[in-house]
Amino acid sequence: MILAVLFSNSDGNILIERFHGVPAEERLHWRSFLVKLGADNLKGAKNEELLVASHKSVSIVYTMIGDVCLYIVGKDEYDELALAEVIFAVTSAVKDVCGKPPTERLFLDKYGRICLCLDEIVWKGLLENTEKDRVRRLIRLKPPVEP
Amino acid sequence: MPSSLAGDLTDPEMTQPYMKKDDDEEEIEYSPFFGIEKGAVLQEARAFHDPQLDARRCSQVITKLLYLLNQGETFTKVEATEVFFAVTKLFQSKDAGLRRLVYLMIKELSPSSDEVIIVTSSLMKDMNSKTDMYRANAIRVLCRIIDGTLLTQIERYLKQAIVDKNPVIASASLVSGIHLLQENPEIVKRWSNEVQEAVQSRAALVQFHGLALLHQIRQNDRLAISKMVSGLTKGSVRSHLAQCLLIRYTSQVIRESTMNTQNGDRPFFDYLESCLRHKSEMVILEAARKIAEMDVTSRELAPAVTVLQLFLTSSKPVLRFAAVRTLNKVAMTRPLAVTNCNVDLESLMSDQNRSIATLAITTLLKTGNESSVDRLMKQITNFMSDITDEFKIVVVEAIRSLCLKFPLKHRSMMNFLSNSLREEGGFEYKKAIVDSIVTIISEIPDAKEIGLLYLCEFIEDCEFTYLSSQILHLLGNEGPRTSDPSRYIRYIYNRVILENATVRASAVSTLAKFGALVDALKPRIFVLLRRCLFDTDDEVRDRATLYLQTLDGEGAVGNTEKDVKEFLFGSLDVPLANLEASLRTYEPSEEPFDISFVSREVKSQPLHEKKAPGKKQLAGAPTPVPVSAVDAYQKMLSSIPEFSGFGKLFKSSEPVELTEAETEYAVNVVKHIYKGHIVLQYNCTNTIPEQLLENVIVYVDATDAEEFSEVCSKPLRSLPYDSPGQIFVAFEKPEHIPAAGKFSNVLKFIVKEVDISTGEVDEDGVEDEYQIEDLEIVSADYMLRVAVSNFRNAWEDMDPESERVDEYGLGVRESLAEAVSAVISILGMQPCEGTEVVPKNARSHACLLSGVFIGDVKVLVRLSFGLSGPKEVAMKLAVRSDDPQVSEKIHEIVASG
Repeated sequence: MILAVLFSNSDGNILIERFHGVPAEERLHWRSFLVKLGADNLKGAKNEELLVASHKSVSIVYTMIGDVCLYIVGKDEYDELALAEVIFAVTSAVKDVCGKPPTERLFLDKYGRICLCLDEIVWKGLLENTEKDRVRRLIRLKPPVEP
Repeated sequence: MPSSLAGDLTDPEMTQPYMKKDDDEEEIEYSPFFGIEKGAVLQEARAFHDPQLDARRCSQVITKLLYLLNQGETFTKVEATEVFFAVTKLFQSKDAGLRRLVYLMIKELSPSSDEVIIVTSSLMKDMNSKTDMYRANAIRVLCRIIDGTLLTQIERYLKQAIVDKNPVIASASLVSGIHLLQENPEIVKRWSNEVQEAVQSRAALVQFHGLALLHQIRQNDRLAISKMVSGLTKGSVRSHLAQCLLIRYTSQVIRESTMNTQNGDRPFFDYLESCLRHKSEMVILEAARKIAEMDVTSRELAPAVTVLQLFLTSSKPVLRFAAVRTLNKVAMTRPLAVTNCNVDLESLMSDQNRSIATLAITTLLKTGNESSVDRLMKQITNFMSDITDEFKIVVVEAIRSLCLKFPLKHRSMMNFLSNSLREEGGFEYKKAIVDSIVTIISEIPDAKEIGLLYLCEFIEDCEFTYLSSQILHLLGNEGPRTSDPSRYIRYIYNRVILENATVRASAVSTLAKFGALVDALKPRIFVLLRRCLFDTDDEVRDRATLYLQTLDGEGAVGNTEKDVKEFLFGSLDVPLANLEASLRTYEPSEEPFDISFVSREVKSQPLHEKKAPGKKQLAGAPTPVPVSAVDAYQKMLSSIPEFSGFGKLFKSSEPVELTEAETEYAVNVVKHIYKGHIVLQYNCTNTIPEQLLENVIVYVDATDAEEFSEVCSKPLRSLPYDSPGQIFVAFEKPEHIPAAGKFSNVLKFIVKEVDISTGEVDEDGVEDEYQIEDLEIVSADYMLRVAVSNFRNAWEDMDPESERVDEYGLGVRESLAEAVSAVISILGMQPCEGTEVVPKNARSHACLLSGVFIGDVKVLVRLSFGLSGPKEVAMKLAVRSDDPQVSEKIHEIVASG
């Protein structure tokens, strides 16, 4: 299960968050934990460089894309390797929507479409679509082009 | 979709009202949602009701609503309903972009079941639409919001969708199936054929989703899973994600089956090994990880370790992390298999990603040999300054294990730990270091004095009261027994001068302990303690007064040296949790609180942990026993007039099940032990709704329990369905004697039919009986599991005259650990200082036990086990107790057990 997908700005303010199977009372804890993790480790990280952390069966893969931090938390079958697939799908889609690694402003300008991309990629904690071209078409309700 | 929509959600126009106009230069930095307010957005949502829908404007409003929801804003029930109804109006628009947002919005709003009906017809229409993308999205939304009844109605469409040639539709329905399986398994299981077809799909993602669903549908059918894996491992799997799933399922099949090894033919393992040569890195890592988790020979493990080693130098951090994490796990059980990777692991110690570096270090600490310890310590020292406390704790714990593994190297590791104590760090980190030093001191005698000095230095500058008090306590127990106790006094007295009241009080107690044990220091300790009489804190003054009187031999506490030591070093023989529970229930009255009434029984944790997960808990069974259960039993039993004369309840056992799980009548028994009586409490539950039981008794046959004679029995008048009741049977037995015996039990009752629909009970009943399992009273039932905090002190304080020693041959046992746990359970005593755990491959083991025997006699036991032949276990048993006869009794118990 992909437990959480969370975007924040570099100051730690939440831009988008999606939790799956995480009780409401634990979300605040996760939010602050992830933001702190980012504050400790993402400063000075290269664009889209993946960072990894884990605790017991929970894995976290996170990165910086443009000015925006992205965290993905998973457990069981969504270990660091599967999460790397997810984060790659998300970052590719975001870059595709924004045309480049986004500034916070650009990210917010494209907010609706990023939400749609996320809806196509992760659905209730499961990875559904991975390719950016396909996602780009799906959010416009266009059928994918078969290879 | 109009191409303009791409700009709808991005258009600067939308953002204009929220921007400050006065600062042109910074304007661009402002959020497009600057100043957004829920009330205003809800007003804007009225646009959804316009007869002429403006798709672009509606999309903007939905984006704002999404933003609000993502910011943690919540809608009241009324607001959510209003928005939901308004959003459903948007189905009138043909604008594709808007429709896509509508689908998302409905999912976000998660309408209640009475609202769902409004939108289902629109979604059903979309599900049968000619536009494929409408169909996929409608399936996803429907599956999110509908319940079981509606699902049956759309099941036909979903089954079709699973095998649809459009992969998006197939994937949407398969993923929906995975979610629906949780709530409606019986419906989704009917789609098995379609899902199986999807697994053969040419589309990679469809295959991935199909495989995941098929596995979940068949997860309880081992044979089906084995067949599925067998078929797929031979065929071609297109998606690397699906391949990873297949690897997991294959390793599951290998784990659960034993058939592969018969003729050396191992198709499943060969498949895993072949995956080590796959082109996808993810697949290789998954295969290596699964092989590493299995119980394989070193030769079979080697290729997996080799590929993991290659990934250690990968440019991708995730791969490095995954590889080092797996190697770390391998190193825990098979350190030798990983030693080849040490060079690569050492280079990872400087990895940018601290998680990777920490894992590398902790792996090295497990695989390193004695000669590399010093070099490793040097490298770690450089590394520690730039990691967070969380990682530092992991490293400290690894160093502790290494130190116990190579005791000769304790100096360099203790030195490292003491340097770490001097550095900056939070409480948890410092606590981990102190705990490590304490463990090393207790395990390696040579490390004791140097360790105590390091701790003394630490408390000179320690900001944590808890740690200072803990260390002072340790100093009090260990310091006086060192070669030069006087060297510690300065550190301790400095605390009295410089610290807060809590630490000062602890320091006073520590000084007193030195005074009690070291005669040469006594006069000087008196001088220091007298100074404490003028302390500003009353607790410190009180302690100083008390200790001065006690050590002087004039106090009320005791006159003999033994009494003084018992007072200073004796542990509080009541578990703190029990004391706390009793104090909470104590009601202030003229009768003072009496600590002797507090239960001394230690809650035995492992028994509960062993319970199978998911096992149905019977409502009548009061398991697990809470800490204050004995108090509760005492109260309950003393309220029954027949038992009120039995005196103080000595012990109540854990409930013992007398029936199998899931039988008609569930019965368990709790054994209550008194000085001269026992009471058997049978907890009964009737699990048949159509029956009412009356006049329920337990007929107990005590022919095999000669020393017991039944004195009374309390039957149960009626036992309705699922409403537990208790039956009591009391026996008399010789006082203070641990009489043993076997009791056979039969449940007898009158059974009456119940009409479930009306609840009416048939007047006529039939007599019936039900055989339940036998029950034994054993010696362990007369022993309370009571821990002592410092076994050695407690042992030394007991009269050596009471000691009885003998040796026993335990015969051929499964393992040393099994022999140790068997003796512990025969005696029913509390293992101390973690000695119940036998290290793997140990040839000998010492185990310390403590308890209180019936008659309130304290008992301590030292067990020394050794393996004399192949699995032949010999044991030496030394017992000390308050009563030499009890020491002998313990030997009798072991001899007869």
